[in-house]
Amino acid sequence: MHFPILTSLVALPVAGAILLLLVNGDEKKSAPLARNIALVVSLLVFAETLLLWSQFNVASGEFQFVERHAWIPAFGIEYFVGVDGISLLLLVLTGFLTPLALLGSWESVQKKTKAFCIVVLLLESAMMGVFISLDLFLFYVFWDAMLVPMYFLVGIWGYERRIYAAIKFMLYTMAGSVLMLVAILGLAYAHYSAHGVYSFDVLKLYQLELTPHQQLWSFLAFALAFAIKVPLFPFHTWLPDAHVEAPTAGSVILAGVMLKMGTYGLVRFAFPLFPQAAMFFAPALAILAVIGIIYGALVAMVQPDMKKLVAYSSVSHLGFVVLGIAAMNTQGVSGAVYQMLSHGISTGGLFLIVGMLSDRRHTRLISEFGGLKKGMPHLVAAFLIVTLASIGLPGLNGFVGEFLILLGAFRWDPRLAAFAATGVILSATYMLWMFQRVNYGPVTNEKNANLPDLKPREWAVIVPIIAVSILMGVLPNLFLRPIEPAVERMLTHFHQGAPTRIQADVSPQPPAPSLRNAGSTR
Amino acid sequence: MPPGVSLSDFYYILPELVLTGGALLVLIADVLLPKERRAALAWVTLLALGATAAALVPFANTHVEVAHGLLAVDRFSLFFKILFLLAAAITVLMSIRYLETEGAASPGEYYFLILCATLGMMIMAGGIDLITIMIGLETMAVSFYILAGYIKPNQRSNEAAVKYFLLGAFSLGILLYGMSLMYGLSGTTNLRVMASAFVGQEKDPRLMLAVILVVAGVGFKIAAVPFHMWAPDVYEGAPTPVTAFLSVGSKAASFAMLIRIFVEGMPSMSADWRLLFYVLSILTMTAGNIAAVTQSNVKRMLAYSSIAHAGYLLMGIVAGTARGITATLIYLMIYSFMQLGAFAVITLLRRKDVVGDELKDFSGLAFRNPFAAFAMLLFMLSLGGIPPTAGFMGKFWLFSAAIDAHYYGLAVIGVLNSAISLYYYVRIVVFMYLKKETSGSDPVITPALALVLGVTVMATLVLGVYPQLLFRVADVSARTLGVAGITAAIR
Amino acid sequence: MVTLNHYLILSAILFAIGTAGVFVRRNLITILLSIEIMLNAVNLTFVAFGRALGSADGQIIVFFVMTVAAAEAAVGLAIVISLFRHKESLNPDSFASLKW
Repeated sequence: MHFPILTSLVALPVAGAILLLLVNGDEKKSAPLARNIALVVSLLVFAETLLLWSQFNVASGEFQFVERHAWIPAFGIEYFVGVDGISLLLLVLTGFLTPLALLGSWESVQKKTKAFCIVVLLLESAMMGVFISLDLFLFYVFWDAMLVPMYFLVGIWGYERRIYAAIKFMLYTMAGSVLMLVAILGLAYAHYSAHGVYSFDVLKLYQLELTPHQQLWSFLAFALAFAIKVPLFPFHTWLPDAHVEAPTAGSVILAGVMLKMGTYGLVRFAFPLFPQAAMFFAPALAILAVIGIIYGALVAMVQPDMKKLVAYSSVSHLGFVVLGIAAMNTQGVSGAVYQMLSHGISTGGLFLIVGMLSDRRHTRLISEFGGLKKGMPHLVAAFLIVTLASIGLPGLNGFVGEFLILLGAFRWDPRLAAFAATGVILSATYMLWMFQRVNYGPVTNEKNANLPDLKPREWAVIVPIIAVSILMGVLPNLFLRPIEPAVERMLTHFHQGAPTRIQADVSPQPPAPSLRNAGSTR
Repeated sequence: MPPGVSLSDFYYILPELVLTGGALLVLIADVLLPKERRAALAWVTLLALGATAAALVPFANTHVEVAHGLLAVDRFSLFFKILFLLAAAITVLMSIRYLETEGAASPGEYYFLILCATLGMMIMAGGIDLITIMIGLETMAVSFYILAGYIKPNQRSNEAAVKYFLLGAFSLGILLYGMSLMYGLSGTTNLRVMASAFVGQEKDPRLMLAVILVVAGVGFKIAAVPFHMWAPDVYEGAPTPVTAFLSVGSKAASFAMLIRIFVEGMPSMSADWRLLFYVLSILTMTAGNIAAVTQSNVKRMLAYSSIAHAGYLLMGIVAGTARGITATLIYLMIYSFMQLGAFAVITLLRRKDVVGDELKDFSGLAFRNPFAAFAMLLFMLSLGGIPPTAGFMGKFWLFSAAIDAHYYGLAVIGVLNSAISLYYYVRIVVFMYLKKETSGSDPVITPALALVLGVTVMATLVLGVYPQLLFRVADVSARTLGVAGITAAIR
Repeated sequence: MVTLNHYLILSAILFAIGTAGVFVRRNLITILLSIEIMLNAVNLTFVAFGRALGSADGQIIVFFVMTVAAAEAAVGLAIVISLFRHKESLNPDSFASLKW
């Protein structure tokens, strides 16, 4: 039996958190030790994800490193984990961003540091769990369990309105996910009616034939949960609050990894499980995505607060991802997965830089800054590269994903691609305008004159980000190679399940009776 | 000796006899022990509970009817008896310091009443005859009437007792009137004989009236909306450990009674009572959760939460399948641990000058006593149904039972309710972890309370990760009932 | 000729009177008495059915109900007296330190 590397990705951060519990002493004594332990543990996890990548067979679209154990046999629930190219890269992204998030909050978190480190590690563990689960029940457990550390991260270490933001985040996400629980149970029951045993195994459920009504309602339940997480317009209102109030580490993890869970859920679960319903709703999703792209960009343009601006830019960028998924062709979906990674890197970088600025000035208002270029050329240079990456300049990471998505969308429906493309232009406008107002011009505020430039710790944060974003821009194939077989496999399955776009025969009907009939007439 | 009753019948009620003996021992010891040594009574009580648990061992696989079908000794009653004994033991451990703080005059009577209530619950769980069920119910209820008003100098406690007594007696009248009709229409008081007598009478309006009356009577006992109005007042006013025992033991015993009466006694009427419970379940969870959102007193909030939980528990009854009953049993056990644990934390906060049950008393608890705050956090998450806690597993089982029986609408309402409920559970967490630390002495954990919190925390975590054993036990217990009969009647 | 139905109707009327009493009366003792009327309606039903069916069970259960009612009344009156010491009132509306 080989070493259970996937389980160790979940277990290692938890072990680190337990180790941290043993750290004693008052804040002054325990804080540096706690930070270092957490950093070492998260770096170990990152190393492990890289090891995983090196052992991964990139030519195959199948699930690898599979571990499977009975958990609750009475209900066919298993501990079933495995990775394909899509989840592999998201694991690496999670492993990459967590140490950076810790480093980025090295000095700004000054109270209850030990607890902070524990919460970040637990969060990492739950996120890893979400990406490796191939059993729907297990997936749901990690999906919900993730809420609790994130809630504390925002609620304890956030800014002024943190309690409101934390509660809003929790309730919003919860309201979406509980309906998914019902749909998951419905699926297990459908498997029972068809095969006489319950199962939550995604691979078995992919093969399940569902009636149109079952597909319709189950898809809606899944899609709602994921759309809130993405967040897709009009379910995005929790995001600006959570981002603005969260500490730097919270914002980085939230934007870098957690938002990807929504789009990952669409690719892994909602679309392949219910291909017909997905086909039926894909145009609606795409239109919402395009509205999100443009709306997010326009709102970002008028934000006075840098963090809020970046938050709304996420709404816009994630709109691209959803558009690519809805297109359901190779370019679109590969581009969407690529854009998930790329957005994680560049938005993570932006939040880290905003964090550095706000550590120095204790404000994030654009109007408070100006002329930073003179005082800290290195930081501004880094800011520029990350900004350009976020805009999607060719040669940097943002370009490849958006280009592929637009290509995929164009093959599906040129009108959508055309509208979405305006988002690219708008994003250049608001990002560069913000960059200009913050960094160029005369120094209008005395306090900006003598700010210190990048410290060694901040170099350590920003260099990896820039390196990866150049790498992703120059060698996109390195990343696309594991993605494509997995995407192809998913699409083949998907188009078998939904040969044509189904039309009027699945018109919505009142919920309970139709579902019950659908179940009993099978 | 009357015909049909033999010495072997006394063997089968050995646990009940041991418990009765233990209760009397506590009462006598209360008189004999000098005043300053009466604290030892708690340990005598625990000993009695332990001896009773030991006396259950020989009956692990027994399946008999005792004394001409007055009591059943089977896995179903065994499951509940274990639950009651655990709940009683935890309550006693919680009570030790609480009684000292309150300066209650005679702890002996208090512990005696706890044991009597436990005895009543055990009889209710085993009762398969209207007479035994009624006697068990009243043994429990009368003990609780007194316990609720146990802190005599406290007017809130007194009011709680009066309200509980009045509504309890009123509900008893309704329940008994329903039972009298059941007796008259079947000619027997034995539930299992009754079941076959009712076949073919489904359309008799008098029988329907009986079903409605019994549902209403039981509805009072499990605090289902609209028969819940006593619960918030009583939970708030009664001594905290009593509230804990009331919300766990009494609720579980009433569910045992409910399952015995309806599943064993009236399977042929299942269409009627399942419809009634369907309506009650939706009303109960929705009204309970919405009312809980506005509360600022934690005990009162937990009272509404307990009402809402009765609604979730009813989902298993509505499903009416073996899986549904199993789910109800599983959730009752899980609910007991998290609810008792939450009340243990409230007990912990009770100090001479502080009642400790207002939300503000929880401010900054995480910094004053991290362990208690962590325990409370866990119980709140569990009550709210967040994985990986036991509460999630329990709810999962209930919802799956509902979907299994094609109640998709009920399951959707259930999950939406559990999302609403998160709001008020999280509010306590906000106060504990996110609010400023308040001045005031740090709550000290006594060894007894540490034991309570340790056990409940472990149970909440372990059952959340490894529920398989509980699932199997509950499944076997549920299947000793004639559930197959109803399932056939439903489909 | 007095048949079973006459008894049942009488007990139903008694039960209704008792229930109404619980709801409309504003004195704790009267409410208690109304509950006793309800329990007696129950007893009457049991006895009437027992006689009509020719089974002793109905008569036996009545003894239990009476015992239980006596126990309840004893405890109930004790609780009411204990509360009366606090408030000098028997009107349930005056007990509002808990929301009713």
